[in-house]
Amino acid sequence: MRALDQYNPITIAVYYLAVAGIAMLCMHPVLLFLSLCGALALCLMRRDLRTRTHANFAAFFALSVLINPLFSHNGATVLLVINNAPITAEALFFGATSGLAVLAVLYWFASFSAIMKSDKLLYLFGKLSPRLSMILSMALRYVSLFAEQAKRIKQAQIALGLYKEDNIIDRVRGGLRIFSVLISWALENGIVTAGSMAARGYGAGRRSHFSIFWFSWRDALVLCLTLLLGAGTLIPYALGTVTFTFYPTLHLHSAGALSYLCYLSYGALVALPILIETEDTVKWKYLRSKI
Amino acid sequence: MIYIPSARVRGVLSVLIPALLIPATVLAGALLLGERAYIPVSLAVALLSLLLFVAGFEQKAIGTRRTVLVSVIIALCIAGRLIPVFKPVTALVVLGAVYLGAQAGFYIGALSALLSNFLFGQGPWTPFQMLAWGLIGLFAGLLAKPLQKSKVALLLYGVLAGIAYSAVMDVWSVLWASGGLSPSAYLAAIVAALPHTVLYALSNLLFLLLCAKPIGDKLCRIKIKYGI
Repeated sequence: MRALDQYNPITIAVYYLAVAGIAMLCMHPVLLFLSLCGALALCLMRRDLRTRTHANFAAFFALSVLINPLFSHNGATVLLVINNAPITAEALFFGATSGLAVLAVLYWFASFSAIMKSDKLLYLFGKLSPRLSMILSMALRYVSLFAEQAKRIKQAQIALGLYKEDNIIDRVRGGLRIFSVLISWALENGIVTAGSMAARGYGAGRRSHFSIFWFSWRDALVLCLTLLLGAGTLIPYALGTVTFTFYPTLHLHSAGALSYLCYLSYGALVALPILIETEDTVKWKYLRSKI
Repeated sequence: MIYIPSARVRGVLSVLIPALLIPATVLAGALLLGERAYIPVSLAVALLSLLLFVAGFEQKAIGTRRTVLVSVIIALCIAGRLIPVFKPVTALVVLGAVYLGAQAGFYIGALSALLSNFLFGQGPWTPFQMLAWGLIGLFAGLLAKPLQKSKVALLLYGVLAGIAYSAVMDVWSVLWASGGLSPSAYLAAIVAALPHTVLYALSNLLFLLLCAKPIGDKLCRIKIKYGI
């Protein structure tokens, strides 16, 4: 029993790459609708987003729907004519479909950033390049350290009587002075850190790093399912059994068992994290009910 | 890419990626896939070019002190992005690159974008932001000598970097919104983004004008004092 964010970062990254990659690649209303439903359900279930973010995403969608018919005048069904340029139903539908793609990918990314916290990111980059992961973890640590140090510098400046809060010019000059002091301190502190690291043998051998993530059979299962379902979606799509033509008229072309395989695989892929989360919630509720 | 101990394999990889993989991805995307292919292809290219720099970075050791200074400047950039309206990020990337070198400059730009987007929202635009800021740092590092010598050149570079950053991100938003790159849509995006472009260029100018001397002097002093 593990919630989605307790899986191995590699599994999570591969999953999101597959599901969002297909949404970016396939300009197909059915697949994109499935994708959006899944992403939205996952975000709502995990309560990852604020209401304002949802509103922003909706505005993005509306923009995308409206822009395409203004630039593209293909299509057979003319709805209205503005300045001698026809606005067609097909162009509007194309805009709506690409808006759907934008929306789906935005939701997948929102969910991804809510799950991939910095420790998972460092684990992934550590596999990629130890030195890069080192820089990232130091930079992350420095942000909070600098904020703390800036507060101390400000207190010292106030105690010295160099700083008044009641006039704007004085405040800006005081802020700049604090920033300047902070930079000198940060650079010197960095050099001291580097000296200490060198003295302890940094760079002498291959760097290993600590992480609390392990790779269990569940990770293997989810990884295999992701790859299988991804292939099940992409192979029929690449073979051209599932196509949707927008111009000159809208036409959904899906032939035979392969097209159903494509829809089913992608539907299952999209539903995978929702199943994982549901299982986790149900088990948690069950265990609590026994207390 | 997992860490490769053999220097020779790493060398081969860092040539293979730009010479074969990037053109192959573009061609495959253009030939095999349909009208929507630009987005994943451009994302793949952006990611590949970032990987390329990682390969190069592992290859050349830039020294512990320089590595630490790079992370100090990245942290300052992240904090700088919290300032409302006028953002000092590009100015800090340029200054860091001029004094610490081209490769360090690329890292400062790319990683500031990556890390600060954890605060401002990750998205499919992240690789493009990383690439755009990374390249601003890289070129600043390559042009280090003239930029250190003349302040006018430095300010000009700041303004141009602001415009270039906006242009690169416009390509991305057009690809993203319409699924293809038509000149008229690109023009419309540039016009729509004009206030942002001016703001970028202006804040780069402002921060370089204010900070170039004090921060430059500090970085220079550290370099001389510790022999970096």
